[in-house]
Amino acid sequence: MNLDWLDAFLIYGLFTVCIITGLALLLHLQLGLARIANFGVVGFFGIGMYTFGVLYVKVDWPFADPWQFFVCLLGGTLVAGLSGLLVGWLTADLNEDGVLVGTLGFATAVFILATTEKDITGGAQGMGGLGFPYDVGGVKANETLWLLIAAVVMAAILYYVWRVHRSPYGRLLVAVGANEPLARSLGKPTFRTKLWVFAVSSAGMGLLGAVYGVMERFLRPTNLGIDITLAAMVALVLGGSARVWGAVVGVVVTVGFFDIVVQSYLPLPREWYSQTIPVLREALFGAALIIVLMFRPVGILGDMRRDKLMRSMHGD
Amino acid sequence: MTDRPDVAIKTRPAILVQNAVKSFSGRVVVDIDELTLGDVPIEGLIGPNGAGKTTLMRMIMHSTSLDRGTITLRPSGRTGAEAVVLSRLPSHRMARHGVVKSNQVVMDFDKLTIWDSLLLAAVGSKYEQPHRIFGEARVFDENAAEINRYLDFFGFGDPSSFAKSAGEKKLLDIVRCLLLKPRFLLLDEPTAGLPEEVTAKVMEEVRRLAARGTSVVIVEHNLDVIWNLCDEVHFMAEGRVIMKGTPQEIRAHKTVVEKYLGEGHV
Repeated sequence: MNLDWLDAFLIYGLFTVCIITGLALLLHLQLGLARIANFGVVGFFGIGMYTFGVLYVKVDWPFADPWQFFVCLLGGTLVAGLSGLLVGWLTADLNEDGVLVGTLGFATAVFILATTEKDITGGAQGMGGLGFPYDVGGVKANETLWLLIAAVVMAAILYYVWRVHRSPYGRLLVAVGANEPLARSLGKPTFRTKLWVFAVSSAGMGLLGAVYGVMERFLRPTNLGIDITLAAMVALVLGGSARVWGAVVGVVVTVGFFDIVVQSYLPLPREWYSQTIPVLREALFGAALIIVLMFRPVGILGDMRRDKLMRSMHGD
Repeated sequence: MTDRPDVAIKTRPAILVQNAVKSFSGRVVVDIDELTLGDVPIEGLIGPNGAGKTTLMRMIMHSTSLDRGTITLRPSGRTGAEAVVLSRLPSHRMARHGVVKSNQVVMDFDKLTIWDSLLLAAVGSKYEQPHRIFGEARVFDENAAEINRYLDFFGFGDPSSFAKSAGEKKLLDIVRCLLLKPRFLLLDEPTAGLPEEVTAKVMEEVRRLAARGTSVVIVEHNLDVIWNLCDEVHFMAEGRVIMKGTPQEIRAHKTVVEKYLGEGHV
């Protein structure tokens, strides 16, 4: 198979699309269904990434790859899930402002810990030593395979979210998000429900962080910038925060368009790449968000359509 | 009034309200020394606006906390049975003990259809776990017959769409309560905003439920409903129950009732 068209830029662009789509899908469970506005996405992502990295690099495992890799991946996912449980427990009963500040603060705490705990994380200089848990011959082949794995992870998250919409659990999440006192009066443990959706989706974010870390190979606190949270949030709201495919559409028209089309195919001046492009990206994402919120606040795909869904599932 | 030979008394769940006080910004809204609800199948709670009827209902459900006092559920109505202190339970645990209340104001879930709303009420919590993503067909099969019976009985429109009018939402609220299989049902103005023929159906369903052993308490401004439906009526004013008796006995105190509710209500 001729893969000449797939250059390093494109691999990295597609990989970013997969990761951000995964994050946006998990954020959709929190924000779109249960109405928990998590502005600390990158915190859980970072916890997963660093836990995986530290376990993989610093711990002497009695077994080699791929088992070492899987155990560390599980560790990163679990620790992210546990931190989700903790942050969820602290913020689940707060109003939107409280949740915003709490989750944002958590992400900041993760960033600061990654910077200051030099013995564990390597501090601002970063931590190397990560790599693919396989070698299929050549950098490009390895990266291509990793891109495929990231795509499979993203597809699995997409399938899960799609199923949640079609399950009693998804209905409970929508109910809790729409009217918590009424859900409680129907015997629904709303606090526990929010706690668990938050913990499970945070664990997923941690898993994506670990997958991302492997591709980066070198972990730095600058990987934990707010731009990741913003990319997921902007993409989800742009695509339609209440729709399953909202995250996918949103990421394609934001991250996909910018990171792939603009960066790879537009003849931009060379000197722009280090400084100007990241700023331009944030500015364009911000502008896109403002335009969408002004003219179509429910996003490109529009609002949730449970009536259509019910008709397709249970007949007329 | 208490010596009526009602055999069902001994098996009905009852709620005991003791020394229950609630005030909002210094104004005492409810102050009840002792009140037992559930001695008879269907009880009415009437009184002027601001008498504390809705607050009392909300206190029983613990969606409004008590300043002091206790509210206890006697599940089977016998003194020996395990009593549950409702005023110490979080509000989402009430339904598990069979204590269910309909809402005075129209409450609905945005974005959820009628089917959704009713399945949500009917489904068991074991299906509502993050890992249960294939349970919908089973939940539907288990509950569709019962839900369809209510949909037909009350004459709902297309259940795959949303409840549109305030009346439809109000009715949906009542059906959700019925699907929770209440053993102690509190109805806060259930017929407000409903057309007459639907009110009659709600009353019919309430009677059927009470005949099967559920204790029902109704707060209602439409006194025709109270006089027709209730076995006993509590008259509340200024946070206290000032009168208690059968509808006939309450109506006999014409002066008191008319003083509070205006002429023509007896």
